[in-house]
Amino acid sequence: MALQKLTADTYDAADPDVWEKVQGAFAEALGLDEDEVELSSLIIEELDAESLDFLDIAFRLERAFDIKIPRGGIEKAAREGIDDEEYEVDGVLTDAALVKLREAMPEIPAENFREGLRTTEVPELFVVATFYNLVVHLLNEKAGA
Amino acid sequence: MGGGRFAFVVHALSPIHRRIIGLRRARPGLLLGFDDGADPWSGRGRLARYRLDLDGEAIEGDILAISLDPEQMLTDQGRAVSRMERVVREWTGHRGYKAVGLGSLCAVVGGRGTALAERLEVPVTTGAAATAWALWRNVAAVADARGIVGPIAVVGSAGPVGRAVAALLASEGRLVRVDSKRGGRKLAVEVCSSIEDTLDGAPLVVGAGPTGASVEPEWVAPGAIVVDVAIPLTIKGRPPEGVTVMAGEAVSMPPELHNGGWGPLYQVFAGYGPWQLFACVIEPLVMVSEGRREPYALGRKLSPDTVRAFGEAAERLGFRARLASGFFEVRPDGRRLGGLRRLVGA
Repeated sequence: MALQKLTADTYDAADPDVWEKVQGAFAEALGLDEDEVELSSLIIEELDAESLDFLDIAFRLERAFDIKIPRGGIEKAAREGIDDEEYEVDGVLTDAALVKLREAMPEIPAENFREGLRTTEVPELFVVATFYNLVVHLLNEKAGA
Repeated sequence: MGGGRFAFVVHALSPIHRRIIGLRRARPGLLLGFDDGADPWSGRGRLARYRLDLDGEAIEGDILAISLDPEQMLTDQGRAVSRMERVVREWTGHRGYKAVGLGSLCAVVGGRGTALAERLEVPVTTGAAATAWALWRNVAAVADARGIVGPIAVVGSAGPVGRAVAALLASEGRLVRVDSKRGGRKLAVEVCSSIEDTLDGAPLVVGAGPTGASVEPEWVAPGAIVVDVAIPLTIKGRPPEGVTVMAGEAVSMPPELHNGGWGPLYQVFAGYGPWQLFACVIEPLVMVSEGRREPYALGRKLSPDTVRAFGEAAERLGFRARLASGFFEVRPDGRRLGGLRRLVGA
């Protein structure tokens, strides 16, 4: 049976085996205790991750789950079906882009994708559940392949 | 102090650098661009040799290259780790390395060196301790030469280098501001909630993040000095008028260090310049001289005490942290070495 992606209201439904590995990967990559890592934790603001930490997290998740995480995969999913000029104007996301991002990242409260959000601010919205959902997506793809 | 050999693993910094590796390793495919580094058998091997003569002994080092460029390193970290493992194993057989250092993205991929360390019997060290030491000593020199009391703003304090430098500067009684909670945890520093707040009015800025372009020019105080190790530089675009940026991770080369025929060329193409090295290169060298099996830096682990220990050992060998602008040394007070002294790196 396919694993289910989490939404902002369904963190409790996380698969315990998947969550354990995701939590472990974050804790190791960021040098934190596991209980400091929660699905709702903002990766940059609360866990203080820097750019290289995202690489480390991706590497550890790839090893833990035997998956390949494509670079920029989240942004690519959001941009699918939208031309560049329809995605952002002077670095500010369009309404169409905000709709796509809400769909692509249901684990983030929809109101966080607010009008005026800049492209560069999107990573600041990422929570641990964002990567949980990415792993689930890739595992389901692998199972279906 | 003892002798022995170390390896320092680097990668192609661009497709052009890959062709230079092809030239050095006599690989026509790489040189002519037919081999883009993706093939598992793509060229690799030694670019340059170093030798540090000690009393009665010598430490020798090999700069080993793999042909993957930055995009390839980041796109497939597992492949990058395998390539590094292969080149080290191939050369360890007849060179007997006692330590392996990692340059540029080699020190980033695979869990900041941890994956490679798990595969090799020889200790692996990432160069972060050496970078932190050089940055700390250079920032302190600027502060002392210019009478800067503070605040000293540390950008990139969430990372191991930034946090270690913040701790070391604070331990000297300097007024330090950091841009992250993690960077300031359990330290006597001021923790700011944003980079902009961290920089507000700070006359001295430490660019300690591994990747730069995190600071808008207008955030930097007029006349500020920025001592930077980030690539690209910490300030986006051109620094504002009156703001001075100095490279913070160069080290001088003692006269006992010989770099052979290809060494100077390697240093130029790597961006160090012919008369200086980046500090990370000497971290495995210092490990060998100390007979040390434990890495100075691996993964996210880096303690201020380890940085101090590294620095003391490096200085015993004759290495000195030095500020740079391009290939040339800059004094902490901003004066450049002139004329003949600059040419000979004295």
